[in-house]
Amino acid sequence: MKTQINSSDGQRNYMRKAKLHKLLIFWCRILVFAGFLALWQTAASFKWIDSFYFSSPLAIAKLFVHDIRDMSLLRHIGITLLESGLSFLLIIVFSVITATFFWFYPSLGKMLEPFLIVLNSLPKSALAPLIIVWLGTGPRTIILCGMSVGIFGCILNLYQAFEQTDPERLKLIETLGGNKLQKFTKIVFPQNIPTFISIAKVNIGLALVGVIIGEFLAGRQGLGYLIIYGSQVFKLDMVILSIVILCAIAMLLYGMLNLLNKKIIALWQ
Amino acid sequence: MKSEKPFVRLDHVKFSYYSSRGEVEALKDIDFSVEKGSFVAIVGPSGCGKSTILSIISGLLKPTGGYITFYSEEFAPPKIGYMLQHDHLLEWRDVYQNILLGLEIRKLKTPQNLELIDNLLEKYKLANVKHQKPSALSGGMRQRIALIRTLALRPDLLLLDEPFSALDYQTRLSVSKDVYDIIKSEEKTAILVTHDISEAVAMADTVILLTKPPCRVKDIIPIEFEKHGISRDEVRNSKLFQQYFDEIWRELQNENTNQ
Ligand SMILES: Nc1ncnc2c1ncn2[C@@H]1O[C@H](COP(=O)(O)OP(=O)(O)OP(=O)(O)O)[C@@H](O)[C@H]1O
Ligand SMILES: [Mg+2]
Repeated sequence: MKTQINSSDGQRNYMRKAKLHKLLIFWCRILVFAGFLALWQTAASFKWIDSFYFSSPLAIAKLFVHDIRDMSLLRHIGITLLESGLSFLLIIVFSVITATFFWFYPSLGKMLEPFLIVLNSLPKSALAPLIIVWLGTGPRTIILCGMSVGIFGCILNLYQAFEQTDPERLKLIETLGGNKLQKFTKIVFPQNIPTFISIAKVNIGLALVGVIIGEFLAGRQGLGYLIIYGSQVFKLDMVILSIVILCAIAMLLYGMLNLLNKKIIALWQ
Repeated sequence: MKSEKPFVRLDHVKFSYYSSRGEVEALKDIDFSVEKGSFVAIVGPSGCGKSTILSIISGLLKPTGGYITFYSEEFAPPKIGYMLQHDHLLEWRDVYQNILLGLEIRKLKTPQNLELIDNLLEKYKLANVKHQKPSALSGGMRQRIALIRTLALRPDLLLLDEPFSALDYQTRLSVSKDVYDIIKSEEKTAILVTHDISEAVAMADTVILLTKPPCRVKDIIPIEFEKHGISRDEVRNSKLFQQYFDEIWRELQNENTNQ
């Protein structure tokens, strides 16, 4: 069923204005960003700020092109992406399995819930040094750091979402002759897929945070390592470039999940 | 259509809910039987235990006292279809997939059963919404789809728990008629729980009146329009309808003012 848009002049007028407004906002954003870059560059060129500490857009761009050419930057980006992706996947897999297990054995869930709450409210970077002592430096440690930030909250949120399933819907499965497994596969899991996506959206960011913490402390490669290394040898161009790239990565990942989210929500209506 | 053989009999059925807030004696002493092919309505004050009775008949709850007996010609327990108060159509499935839910669960997606569904959809004018999402449908349609989901499992006995309470008055009248026609033309035995007296009188052959909790059977009233030559389509306009209505109304009123 298609609703009639453009049915009247008033409606058409409204739609045009709304579209214009959207366009305006978009270009204003670009303008603000470009203005910021221009101001920064001017300030650096005219020596209003010390470009040794604050770098400049052109210097960063030059470094970017140079480092992309000699492949070193791509490798660091790739490593960070790989580690974050792995942490994220492990968080998701582990959380789904655990939360499912808790749903099937609610006493177990109830018993372990307070422990999870405590672990979740802990500032997770406090765990990183411990992980380094246990596992040494290297990718394993970094991936574990990446997982440690999000995983407890992820399990908790997912378990609580599972728990809140409408009991009447579970009764429906009973009236149709279903067992506990079918309650899970037919109701609990599909019903919570939108929740699951929004939890995933948060956790992809958290995985990135964890991985960067890990690379700060135990990395020999990756953007986190570049930031720490750059700040130690006063290559501030490198530090800021890495931060900019991190911004881009975060935006990209978030955008991807958002897209997925929209697709799934559309299916769910 | 009505045979005199009992189909289900409840003998002194008792039921109590136990919880940390204390014991709730929901059913004190429930005694009635339902004949094959008949349409029984259960009417009673709210919270008196109507849903509990259906849950016990369906086997979801075990009575804490008394017996429930099923009589059947085959050596198998009768199949029971239970329709809950809300349609509970799942929003991520389209109409057809919602109807298939029961068959999926029982692993009964046989060609015969799929054909039955197609016939039902065709017969009750729902074939054109087969692939729509439930959210696009009216309350009345959703309720009929929920009924087809129940019928797909070919139940011998249908339990309906206030299936029309979420609908507005106009829709309610037409859907209850549709559901009545469907149940009669599929020759099912049905037990309908409702708090709408006129609905009970218009649809049932027998109305069972319950007391306030703890719940007992207060009265069993046979509804005999057919004997007086009144067809089901026009009962609501008849004098007899008003008489039945008043009788049940009075008894319920007594029930609410007593004690
Ligand atoms: N799970 C439960 N735990 C404790 N008490 C319950 C539970 N379910 C129902 N009861 C109580 O048992 C009594 C009967 O409940 P039931 O749902 O069978 O009544 P009902 O006649 O269907 O009510 P309604 O008209 O509201 O649908 C009520 O007093 C209710 O509070
Ligand atoms: Mg009820």
